[in-house]
Amino acid sequence: MKLIHKLEPLWWILFGAGGFVACFFLPALLLGVLILGPLGAMPHGLSYDHAHMLASSMVGKGFLCVVITLVLWHCAHHLRHFILDLGGHSLATIAAFSSYGLAVVGTIATFSIVGAL
Amino acid sequence: MSAHAAPRTPTAPARPPSGFPVGFYRYRNYILFAATSLFMALGCIGLLEGLHALGKGEAAWNGFLARMARPHNLVLSVVVLGFTLYFVIRFAWVGRKIGAGRIGPVPRPPLPMPLLGVAPIGGFVTVWLVLLAILGGLLL
Repeated sequence: MKLIHKLEPLWWILFGAGGFVACFFLPALLLGVLILGPLGAMPHGLSYDHAHMLASSMVGKGFLCVVITLVLWHCAHHLRHFILDLGGHSLATIAAFSSYGLAVVGTIATFSIVGAL
Repeated sequence: MSAHAAPRTPTAPARPPSGFPVGFYRYRNYILFAATSLFMALGCIGLLEGLHALGKGEAAWNGFLARMARPHNLVLSVVVLGFTLYFVIRFAWVGRKIGAGRIGPVPRPPLPMPLLGVAPIGGFVTVWLVLLAILGGLLL
């Protein structure tokens, strides 16, 4: 836990940056990719060729990596404090390691999936 | 402890306030705001699933879109979007107090607090429309 506490400024920076990025980009991505696309409201935009062209460009890859990883780190930090609020400080160690552990897994998954495009 | 180290200040152990977490509307809002993290993470996992399918080829991508079009997946996506929008509104609403803060000798902006909350949301919505236009194939 000493390391977790030592890195506290880093967690808060990632939390703030992730929240900011989420406000700017996440609602449109969720609405477009998870709702309007499957409903067929974007037949050209989310066709395979166009979606692949957007996501596999250097700008697209950078954008997706930044947005998804920062939002995941934001969620991890928020989740850690949510667990502390509900369960008390006896859960501090498990809350920190499980939340940030999942964020590390999400970051690796994001870079490997986006990198393979 | 060395002889010169200051003694640790005695403090009471942390304890939740009376009625926490659902006994008071501010507590409920706080819990709802914290719960947004779960749903936003779920949304990111959905996006990653889509990107994974995109990397596997056209059939996998079309399969992903068909899977997400199922009613229960659409309902889940709408719930995830709802929590994300709640996060955005609360983020902007809490953040308006930062905009109204006084920094050094710079005078406080002569803007009413509600406007400082609504203006960032206007900026966010503008970016969302641009991003949706790109995703829809209207801009790129």
